[in-house]
Amino acid sequence: MIIGIPRALIYWKQPYFWESFFENLGFKVLLSPPTNKEIVEMGVKVADPETCFSNKVYWGHLLWLDGKCDLIFVPRLKANEEKLEYCPKFFGLPDLAQILVKTPILTETFDRRKEETKKALERLGKKLKKNKEEIKKAAGTAFLKEKELKEKEEQEFFKKIQSKKQKLVLVSHPYNLYDDYVNLRMKEKLEKLGAEPIFIDEVPIKSQISNLKYRASINGSEGEEEDEVLFASQNLNWPKFHWEFGKELMERIEVALNYRIAGAIEISSFGCGCDAVIKEFVEKTFKQNRIPFLYLMIDEQTGEAGIQTRLEAFMDTI
Amino acid sequence: MKKPIITFARWGNYTIAFKTLFEQLGLEVIPPEKTNSQTIAEGAKIAPEMYCFPMKVTLGNYLPALKKGANTIFMVQNVGGSCRQRYYGAIQEKVLKETGHDINFLDFRAAPKDIYSAIKKISNASFWQIIKAGRFFFKKLRLIEKIEKVAQYYRPREIEKGMTDKILTESFSKLEELKKEKDFPKLKREIFKKLSEIKIEENKDLPKVALVGEIYTVCDPTINFEVESKLGREGVEVHREMDITYHLKKLIFPWKDWIIQKKINPYLKSTVGGHGRDAIYEMLHYIKEDFDGIIHLLPFQCMPEVTVRPILEKIHRESGIPFLSISLDEQTAEAGIDTRLEAFIDVVRNYHQSKKSKI
Repeated sequence: MIIGIPRALIYWKQPYFWESFFENLGFKVLLSPPTNKEIVEMGVKVADPETCFSNKVYWGHLLWLDGKCDLIFVPRLKANEEKLEYCPKFFGLPDLAQILVKTPILTETFDRRKEETKKALERLGKKLKKNKEEIKKAAGTAFLKEKELKEKEEQEFFKKIQSKKQKLVLVSHPYNLYDDYVNLRMKEKLEKLGAEPIFIDEVPIKSQISNLKYRASINGSEGEEEDEVLFASQNLNWPKFHWEFGKELMERIEVALNYRIAGAIEISSFGCGCDAVIKEFVEKTFKQNRIPFLYLMIDEQTGEAGIQTRLEAFMDTI
Repeated sequence: MKKPIITFARWGNYTIAFKTLFEQLGLEVIPPEKTNSQTIAEGAKIAPEMYCFPMKVTLGNYLPALKKGANTIFMVQNVGGSCRQRYYGAIQEKVLKETGHDINFLDFRAAPKDIYSAIKKISNASFWQIIKAGRFFFKKLRLIEKIEKVAQYYRPREIEKGMTDKILTESFSKLEELKKEKDFPKLKREIFKKLSEIKIEENKDLPKVALVGEIYTVCDPTINFEVESKLGREGVEVHREMDITYHLKKLIFPWKDWIIQKKINPYLKSTVGGHGRDAIYEMLHYIKEDFDGIIHLLPFQCMPEVTVRPILEKIHRESGIPFLSISLDEQTAEAGIDTRLEAFIDVVRNYHQSKKSKI
């Protein structure tokens, strides 16, 4: 049996996990290809005109998978381990997907406010006629793989932060950062302009970093000061977000501010309701810390030339 | 602390009831300006561009009141659950402070306990005074909603066109002026007497249209270009379930959500924030009640309503009921809405006729 996974939106929240989970269970996994022009066009055609660009891209991936596999996996992500909610547009994804495609949708609700992920995975396994043992093993291996990748990412960050080039922080959702077609190869463009782009996802969250590594990386100081001293100098204020990415983004920015960054760019897909809120506080935080800030909106009509000009101009101001 | 002079978010005719609430607490109130194209433009100018429409509108309503001397703003958060409404207060406070307004912002959760403590803090009113003010508030609120419902019935049936709306406006301004609770029953009788004197054609066969969608746009006639009375004057009976009482009932009786979820299970198996689920539930309900059309009102890019719109469209395709979805924002023009409504009314009439001829 082939299980299809759209390579967009929620896929990037947990890349590789689902792929490896289903493969460990003995299924064949069909991942839709990286976003391309046809996929975006397909998505835009069927999507509600007012929904966000990222959602439209997702519909495109779904349509690409339609008919090519036996099941399409669309999880219903509701709340994460900190009991914070995901974007409300994710709540209805499986239902809307079912309207769109003929292939049956495989779905399960993940709500950490109510239960452990393990239970949800077991229910998912039941739908696929797999017993608890098999699920446990498959999930275990998949989690390990995910952890490995995260650690690698963290090391990359410390390598990047030592770089002599001008460091730019790219603030956005993972589905905008890692999808090269969607963000118009922003990373490549910035590298060509001589900058060192750092994805906000790569910045470790305060609690995640082991103290030693953390202190050693800050200008080589031996860590005589307390962490509090480091953070007290900043002027931070934002409301308590009930969205997981809101809290996460702001916390990561808080960490990023401890390093010498030349500028920050926020990428937001057109129609993203959550970004309308978060952008205000992201912008405020960077401005208060006197870091140049650029806000870019992307959608299906964004032209590459326009983005290029704006990036060049931004690089000149830094 | 300075003496608080209150202003608050405007919300259609309900503004009257809110004004009374604060006045009864012994607070000085400057009501927010009535929504017009200018307040909308002013609000949109300083609001974040991508934010949803009701936030820009309410922001625009504060500005004239702030100029007149108001220094404290009341804002309820958490009306919408998972959606952006939660951050209205935070964003409005930020925006207003950035534009140089020295204000005290009261942002609190819409739970009875929080509302009580917020009111207590600002007004120093006694427990009984708050209870009494609350009671008067609810009386006015219920009356406003009732008058609106009655008007929905009278409008398409009136013989002298425009009579209902005239009486409605008069009644609302009288209600706004009413300060003492003991005069309330008299005014209530007076209003209903006047309404019952409207000459109407009984037993008229009328097509029925329901309004569903986002609560603010559905309930505020100044935002939705008076869809309700426009349809009424064209001889269409309008219904809507969405109002403050409906929302409060859902807050007080959480199982109502559970019932709604059960009804819409074939279409959507989860909440999507705001009143997304309610729109589906209402649409299914109205189809069962043999309505002739559904109008879906939403602010441009409203997250919950945009999420459920494909589902509403699916129901529309399955049942064949005429369906019109109107998104509103600061760039919506009245002429455009009028044209779409006129065309829609034709479709509704045809649908109504064809249903009759089948029987």
